Amino acid sequence: MTALSILNLVPEPGRISGGQILFKNRDVVSMTSSELHEYRGGDVAMIFQDPMTSLNPVLRVGFQIEEAMRAHSRFDKRQAKARVIPLLERVRIPSPKQRARDFPFQFSGGMRQRAMIAMGLANEPSLLIADEPTTALDVTVQAQILELLKELNRELGTAIILISHNVAVISSLCTRVMVMYAGRIVESGPTRQVFEHPEHPYTWSLLRSVPRVDERRHERLISIQGMPPDLSRLPTGCTFHPRCQFKVERCLREEPPLEEVAADQEARCWVLMRNVSKESQAART
Amino acid sequence: MKQQLEIVPSERVGPLVSVTDVYKYFPTGGGFGRGAAVKAVDGVTFDIAAGETLGLVGESGCGKSTLGRVIMQLQPATKGSVKFEGRELTKMRGNELRQVRQRMQIIFQDPYASLNPRMTVGDIVAEPLKNFGLGNKREREKRVQEVMKVCGLNPNFTNRYPHEFSGGQRQRIGIARALVLTPSLIVADEPISALDVSIQAQIVNLLEDLQNEFKLTYLFIAHDLSVVRHVSDRVAVMYLGKIVEVASSREVYDNPLHPYTKVLLSSIPYTDPELEAHRKPILLKGEIPSPINPPKGCRFHTRCPIAQFPICGEVEPPLEKKADGHVAACHFPGKL
Repeated sequence: MTALSILNLVPEPGRISGGQILFKNRDVVSMTSSELHEYRGGDVAMIFQDPMTSLNPVLRVGFQIEEAMRAHSRFDKRQAKARVIPLLERVRIPSPKQRARDFPFQFSGGMRQRAMIAMGLANEPSLLIADEPTTALDVTVQAQILELLKELNRELGTAIILISHNVAVISSLCTRVMVMYAGRIVESGPTRQVFEHPEHPYTWSLLRSVPRVDERRHERLISIQGMPPDLSRLPTGCTFHPRCQFKVERCLREEPPLEEVAADQEARCWVLMRNVSKESQAART
Repeated sequence: MKQQLEIVPSERVGPLVSVTDVYKYFPTGGGFGRGAAVKAVDGVTFDIAAGETLGLVGESGCGKSTLGRVIMQLQPATKGSVKFEGRELTKMRGNELRQVRQRMQIIFQDPYASLNPRMTVGDIVAEPLKNFGLGNKREREKRVQEVMKVCGLNPNFTNRYPHEFSGGQRQRIGIARALVLTPSLIVADEPISALDVSIQAQIVNLLEDLQNEFKLTYLFIAHDLSVVRHVSDRVAVMYLGKIVEVASSREVYDNPLHPYTKVLLSSIPYTDPELEAHRKPILLKGEIPSPINPPKGCRFHTRCPIAQFPICGEVEPPLEKKADGHVAACHFPGKL
């Protein structure tokens, strides 16, 4: 939903009820519809978890990529046509000339996601929002897509917002990470720092709740008790407190602010994991 | 006829399950036997020891779920033998097979689709007992509450319907239903992949606790190698209908011999950013071939980074012992 807000695409009856979204110093919330048209798909592109439902099943893949450029004014008709094959090549689709004439159902899952990425890149956006781009894919295909995204980021300088529940995927691709819980950022900072020294109990538990392929000995997983809260009836105080194993009395009453806890690292917690002794951390596992 | 309702740990030596040269082909269209067949499982042999967890990993379409179903006899094998507790299942029919099913149960991936929305949770969990005519009404109720409690469910909720429960709780209901008959084998087919990450650990921990308490044997089918490593004693890797490698969980991860296993392992990102920065994924070329017409020789040769010709394209490597308790089907094991 945060990503949809960035694109000013919040579905009715929802709306952006306050605040500002600045993209290159322009406020997205107050853009006119023609400005928004250029912005969406032009400056910012989005790719989704399930590429089959985001591609039109009855149009050829090449045509759909061309269409993405024709909808915007950066490339004229001839340029748009000429760019399709190089774009497919760019995302490593084999024999792109033939493949451009295929329909989406003739593509495998990984290739569809590549085609989506090609479409997203068509107008040379400065930001690519990737919403769980590899969740529906097998690990070997996931590895290919992650490498591709890294390459685009490095070579074209495209900024990427990667939305994922998979902490290892985040670790693989992201320089900075923001952890969200119940509609709020609860922790943010450089990925390495946050993953090595998580300060919010939610981040700490999340990192220990998934088995690691590099685990040396069998450790019991931390299970986060309970369920994610109902967003229309959030708990008082810190929204994580009903599931938090380190809460203090204050957490039930007052919501903590997002505060700097180390250089570049912010967390929204009254307790902070650094103040929890190793023994009581271990006791919760 | 009343039978005992207590959970009896299985005390058995030798493998609990023996799968020998099992094939499962699905005919495709064409009719009159002219169509080609999807070779979902194409000659598979392995054992599951009593009390162990065998992890079965592979990518979508490799035949791992079909294999689980064939072991459960939910689908008949095209060819081959499946022995459970020393008895041949593929020859059994009707009531005989029904009786064996008390000892083997399955948990499904989707806890939304696998529970009847019109039955109360109490009825869902009690249904296997009823099917086998075990106990009277009161005994069954007692047993249902007992099992629900063991699975972390509130035993007073027997009158509720599945829609009143969350995904994680529904999966617990599915586990309770599997457990109520005191099985020795549980086939868990992707039991956590449909659940929210924060809930997955609860189910993994529950399955581990239940195994310790009731001496269960698991066949744990999953595509997620990190989970499989975490829960399994031994791991079997499948590619295109065949098992390519089996070894202890530790050995498979530390010393993979088949190039496909190595590729799979190298594909998984590490959570630790330090380790992740040094990971070198081996990227596969091309797409997985069709199981209707799998490649000749080694099935992996079309995508294998170390395939040598002509041997890999012509001679199918047998699944052989390469080290203690470690089998692999490769002409050049450990060379990648």
